[in-house]
Amino acid sequence: MSAPAKSPDNLPGPLAGLRVLELADEKGQFCGKLLADHDADVIKIEPPMGCGVRRVGPFLDDVPHPDRSLTFWYYNTSKRGITLDLERAEGARLFRRLAAGADVILETWAPGRLIELGLGYDALRTDNPGLIVCSLTPFGQTGPWRDYKSSDLVHMAAGGEMASCGYDEEDVPGAPPIAPGGGNAWHMGGHYAYMAIMAALVHRTVSGEGQYIDASIHEACALTTESAIANYIYRGETLKRHTGRHHSPGPAPRTQFCAKDGRYVNALVSGRLNPGYMKELAAFLGAYGMAADLDDPKYQDPKVIEASTSHIIDQVVANFIASLPAEEVYHAAQERGFTWAAVRAAEDLAEDAHLGDRSFWKTVDHPELGRSFVYPGEAAIFSASPWRISCRAPLLGEHNVEILCGELGLSRAELALFDEQEVI
Amino acid sequence: MVQRRALDGIRVVDFSWVRAGPWATRWLGALGAEIIKIEWPESERGRLPSSTTPQDLEVNLNTSGNFNDTNVNKKSLTLNVRRPKGLALAKRLIAISDIVIENFSSRVLQNWGLGWEELRRIKPDLVYVSMSGYGHTGRNHHYTTFGPIAQAASGLTHLSGLPGKPPAGWGWSYMDDTGGMYGAMCALTGLYHRNRTGQGQHIDQSQMVSSVPLNGPALLDFTVNGRRTSRAGFPPGNRAHWPGTPLLNNYRGPIVAPHNTYRTHPSGYNDWCVIVCHSDEEWRRLVEVMGAPVWARDERYATNSGRLEHQEALDRDIEAWTGRLDKYDITACCQAAGVRAMAVQSAEDRVEHDPQLRHRGMYRELDHPMLGRRKVQNAPFKLSATPAFNHCASPLIGQHTAEIVEGLLGCSRDELREGFGDGTFWPTKRPLFDYLEDMLK
Repeated sequence: MSAPAKSPDNLPGPLAGLRVLELADEKGQFCGKLLADHDADVIKIEPPMGCGVRRVGPFLDDVPHPDRSLTFWYYNTSKRGITLDLERAEGARLFRRLAAGADVILETWAPGRLIELGLGYDALRTDNPGLIVCSLTPFGQTGPWRDYKSSDLVHMAAGGEMASCGYDEEDVPGAPPIAPGGGNAWHMGGHYAYMAIMAALVHRTVSGEGQYIDASIHEACALTTESAIANYIYRGETLKRHTGRHHSPGPAPRTQFCAKDGRYVNALVSGRLNPGYMKELAAFLGAYGMAADLDDPKYQDPKVIEASTSHIIDQVVANFIASLPAEEVYHAAQERGFTWAAVRAAEDLAEDAHLGDRSFWKTVDHPELGRSFVYPGEAAIFSASPWRISCRAPLLGEHNVEILCGELGLSRAELALFDEQEVI
Repeated sequence: MVQRRALDGIRVVDFSWVRAGPWATRWLGALGAEIIKIEWPESERGRLPSSTTPQDLEVNLNTSGNFNDTNVNKKSLTLNVRRPKGLALAKRLIAISDIVIENFSSRVLQNWGLGWEELRRIKPDLVYVSMSGYGHTGRNHHYTTFGPIAQAASGLTHLSGLPGKPPAGWGWSYMDDTGGMYGAMCALTGLYHRNRTGQGQHIDQSQMVSSVPLNGPALLDFTVNGRRTSRAGFPPGNRAHWPGTPLLNNYRGPIVAPHNTYRTHPSGYNDWCVIVCHSDEEWRRLVEVMGAPVWARDERYATNSGRLEHQEALDRDIEAWTGRLDKYDITACCQAAGVRAMAVQSAEDRVEHDPQLRHRGMYRELDHPMLGRRKVQNAPFKLSATPAFNHCASPLIGQHTAEIVEGLLGCSRDELREGFGDGTFWPTKRPLFDYLEDMLK
């Protein structure tokens, strides 16, 4: 069997030994988490009042507090954290000292602001030619929209996600384009930024050379609509939005059906309807006494199948799914080779046995609370260098002493002074 | 001077098909790696069927527009790896490569005799990225996915829609795009580790599992607070909060109003904009942009809590203003005042009307022998020393077979011809394209 063994916990991760400084809010914290969960030493540098994400809920037990934001917790695992006001000369000076020993700086500040503070790539590389700086910003460092303000919703509009998501007119008349939730604009930007940083790091292993990366969240989102751009470029088509399924230039058969328990099942049937598939479908539904007329030999004729598409999908398949709970349809279908799934809510994942088999859920200690909590884990299992959460997100300023005194060599008295002056 | 690129000298054996795997190797190619796409015309998935073939061209293996965009920067080798001779050649190629990527079901490569134990025997420091639906371990490893199936099973579909309605989901295979990103990210991470340590490895990436961490805050709200997303007011459409439901965070940033889509003039299919105010200050700026009408100066809208409480009236009032204006004019005047507003952009809007994407060179043209000169999507990042760029259009099927078999594997022209005759490089009963005939001369 060629499956990799579960990653041994004692091995270093793939980015072990790499030092990253993160000057990032909601726009870049996920990229920083990816680096940190791959075992880079990521130091999150927050303004003295804390990163704005600390004020975004939900909160532990619904009690708002900078150290209780679950959004902050999730996106800042495996990092250490210090506070430093880079707008103050002393703060900027300390940052330069940290940057001299860093491999990567990930920043999401307004374009040009770090340069104004004397902390741009050109200034920092003089002390550290191998340094890689990645600026991940809403629209990039140049162009007419460079200084535009954004949010997740703004990016989902600009990037084309919304133009592809929504409802059939008969389901929700006059529905607007819908932006899927969950902050996925930041994920899209974070994935591409991670890729660019890794490419620069690979190049550095060969050349020793650092570089500057100008990454745009808008461009990342605009790249993440599958065939929409190709449909326009090659056929001039504008795609229509449909309920719970792919955009398309014209009408398209349903793929989402309500199950007996009120949950939904995504059953991709159209596009696969051929005589062989009809036999398998009839056998599957027949096992539940729900095949209706599908075992009629006439369905071995492709022309009959095509003429009966609506009957097969909207009646027979829909009735079958309506007769069983969604989770049961999902597993029964997959066991027979049908690429179907239940539409699950986030909380349903906690029960997913497959994720359990892959040791996906991680218990993360929060020692200051005397509690531990279950976190979602890694997207992939590395056989030789595990991707894993090493610790919970930092409390505000948690590692100030460890890093500013322990590593930069400030005295406790200097630290106290910087604290008083609100430099940290 | 030849432009240096980050992955110069890296060779990737690419068994991937359909969309997620090819999207991964597309980026490795843009970064400079040599991508050798191993294909077989009889079991091809990705080139056919094509709903993106231009209306004036015949649908065949070389005329899919979406395939072209997804497979730029690659070479195509047609090889029947299900036969011993083809498999032996694939192994010779792997022995001189750095990365193997595939996105088959979990046991396919193993059944060919190319499982990780064999791959590492052939090339001990190989980075092998398998991109299967559910991963190579776990009880459901044999389940299969397309993007929408991974999205449904992982909770992503449930994030999208209006409360009390069926899920709107994602109107495309988000997890083909994003699964592809994870494939590329894993390959680069494994390559960095290899360059540092000399050690190869198998990276078992799963499309479904990769989707789950994208629900992070919602998952923690459940595991920490016991709160379910199956609740009144979730998902909240385009709002941060749905009126009349408990005031809970819905995992898309701060709980604010306005935070919605609005109709714009002239009410065409994609004539919509979004407006978001993260603070009372941003709201006051929006009021000024709207010309400070009497309704907007109403005290009940002065604070975020008031705007949330009266959100339905607020949204109607805002839409009465946006409905008279063009979506790009709204974007420009709001943004000039520091208000978060944006046109809902279709694909045509992005390619033709988005001045930022034009400035950044997002769509540049490449020549394709069948499809002609076409715009192709570029990288969303600019690497100052080693830029990523698309250097060639997608390969015609089998276009580089001679180059690879003769040039890299050292076979003779006679061996190439023999392989075309015996079903190693092309199915014996399938007609050859003209360029393949020319290749054998």
